[in-house]
Amino acid sequence: MALTIAIHSYKGGSGKTSFAINLASAYASVGKSVCLLDVDLKAPSSFNYLLPEAKHWVNDIFEGRYGVMDVVKDVSKEMGTKGAFYVGYSNPDIVAVRGISSKDRKWQSKALKLLMTAKRDLSNAGIDIVILDTGAGVDFTSVNAIAVADYVISVGRPGASRQRLMEQVIGGVYMPLDKDCYIIENMCHNDNPTDLSGKKFDLPVLASIPCMCDVAVRCDNEVLVLTEPDHAFSKKIYDIMESLDKITS
Amino acid sequence: MTDNSSTEEMIRLLREISGKLDRILIQGSADNESDDGILDVLDVMTLLTLPDHLRTTATALFELGSATADELAERTNKERAVESNYLNQLVRMGHVAKNRKGRKVYFSIGEGLGK
Ligand SMILES: Nc1ncnc2c1ncn2[C@@H]1O[C@H](COP(=O)(O)OP(=O)(O)O)[C@@H](O)[C@H]1O
Ligand SMILES: [Mg+2]
Repeated sequence: MALTIAIHSYKGGSGKTSFAINLASAYASVGKSVCLLDVDLKAPSSFNYLLPEAKHWVNDIFEGRYGVMDVVKDVSKEMGTKGAFYVGYSNPDIVAVRGISSKDRKWQSKALKLLMTAKRDLSNAGIDIVILDTGAGVDFTSVNAIAVADYVISVGRPGASRQRLMEQVIGGVYMPLDKDCYIIENMCHNDNPTDLSGKKFDLPVLASIPCMCDVAVRCDNEVLVLTEPDHAFSKKIYDIMESLDKITS
Repeated sequence: MTDNSSTEEMIRLLREISGKLDRILIQGSADNESDDGILDVLDVMTLLTLPDHLRTTATALFELGSATADELAERTNKERAVESNYLNQLVRMGHVAKNRKGRKVYFSIGEGLGK
């Protein structure tokens, strides 16, 4: 089975999408077959604009209209990666985005089944790593993705209040779904000591990524691990990839 | 004068009745939902509220798509009889569907009762 990693956070704007794109690109750059899916149907990610276009949307998978292999597009040529690099985008059209909020539980149950099927299809197609860029907080779009994943990486900004909220999600979502979870602290400042280590749940912190102004600007226009592999941000991502390799091997 | 005020009073009463009817209709449709068995659909939030043993079984079934009690027991490392018991419990709750194909019985996540 393809190793499936859900990138989640309790609150929005913690850097999930930036991390997901760069981690996926890092894997593809070292020759892994990767698939990056934007499953944040309520707030589609900007990588629609960053990477080459595709014909169909991740929404089509959930609606049962297309299988995952008809939806994803291999962008390895354009991005210059050694390994295959498939991406699937969620539809940013406002009608599609609004529509997600009115889906009932029956639709959501089916969506989970279809996402499980997509994971099997990706494995059968020879994909090594599936990265799910989820929405923030606890709702169907994020929890369905977490349920499908083998590993959950929770990207959070440092802060004691965040830690308490995160414990709720860890104890009420990640643990009951039996997931291996890791924390990435993002946008850290030197004077703010690591405090997300989750004493109660003892979740390992995989890395602390500093807050870098140029990352905030450049992440919207380029994939840093590919355009500048020696950048401090890129190095962190490659380090995280190596740690994950050790954990999952 | 009196005519006017009694007309106003009538309109006020009609509005009140109309509001009450709306509320009854909304309540009625909410009740209908549970009658139709929509609550039996096993979505991921419901999955989270299940007791540990049933959640493990249901999650494995989501992953396998469709499976016999044997296949599921292999996945969860439990006794077949135990797993079969859990599966049938989930069937009674309306979360899981049971289908016979030849001599084998296959379980799968249900589509919910009704509708
Ligand atoms: N380490 C960092 N330092 C500075 N800015 C960052 C860092 N990581 C991400 N950002 C910026 O933060 C913003 C939100 O990131 P994004 O990845 O969209 O978060 P999310 O997907 O969690 O909502 C983006 O503008 C991104 O460029
Ligand atoms: Mg995002």
